[in-house]
Amino acid sequence: MTPSGEESTGEALGARPRSNVYLALLAGWIVPGLGHVLLGRARRGVLFALLVLGSYALGMSHDGRLALRDPRQPFLTSLQVIANVGIGPLDLLARYSVYGRPAYGLSIQAISAGDRAVGEIFRERTRSALSIYGTAYAWTAGLMNLLLLFDLWDVGRGRRTNYA
Amino acid sequence: MRSHLLHLVLYSTLVATFFAVLTRDSRRERLRFGLWLWGGMVGGAIVLAYLMYPFPR
Repeated sequence: MTPSGEESTGEALGARPRSNVYLALLAGWIVPGLGHVLLGRARRGVLFALLVLGSYALGMSHDGRLALRDPRQPFLTSLQVIANVGIGPLDLLARYSVYGRPAYGLSIQAISAGDRAVGEIFRERTRSALSIYGTAYAWTAGLMNLLLLFDLWDVGRGRRTNYA
Repeated sequence: MRSHLLHLVLYSTLVATFFAVLTRDSRRERLRFGLWLWGGMVGGAIVLAYLMYPFPR
């Protein structure tokens, strides 16, 4: 049931998802808001795109942390990576831009010696005075986009019918 | 931008707008919920900051 409680119907809960909901989910992950546009919620989709991409732009311009999975803290750092990846392929581009390659984790060998470049860039970025702000914006953008995918699923199943 | 307060206000605005649009359907409901959420985030952070003020860093 949605928070307002007005959009759910008993019939809709058991309904099969519309066939184009999977396409909308993929589109919504690739470009935030596009999934809502594809399902006919254009105004909402554009507003979501502005909010999510605006938050991500603020995050990147304030040295937001592009999380790396650290084997010493695998659970928490994996959640951080998921928050980053929620924004879609933009995260990949950001990693190319910051790390020079699509780095998503640190290996024990890389930490102890070997490939220090990614770890050094990560630490350098974290030391920036702006990084705490940028990290909040960037991770929030990813998490907002993940929430939008859940919303798209509800729209596709007919649980949310009276909004545009 | 290095102002902690401005970031607090900007971040709260983004998040409150997002959740108001996501979870409410009428304009009036969105405005009420968005303002309530925004006020809770900004006001709560300021109140918490003053409560923590006497404690050493």
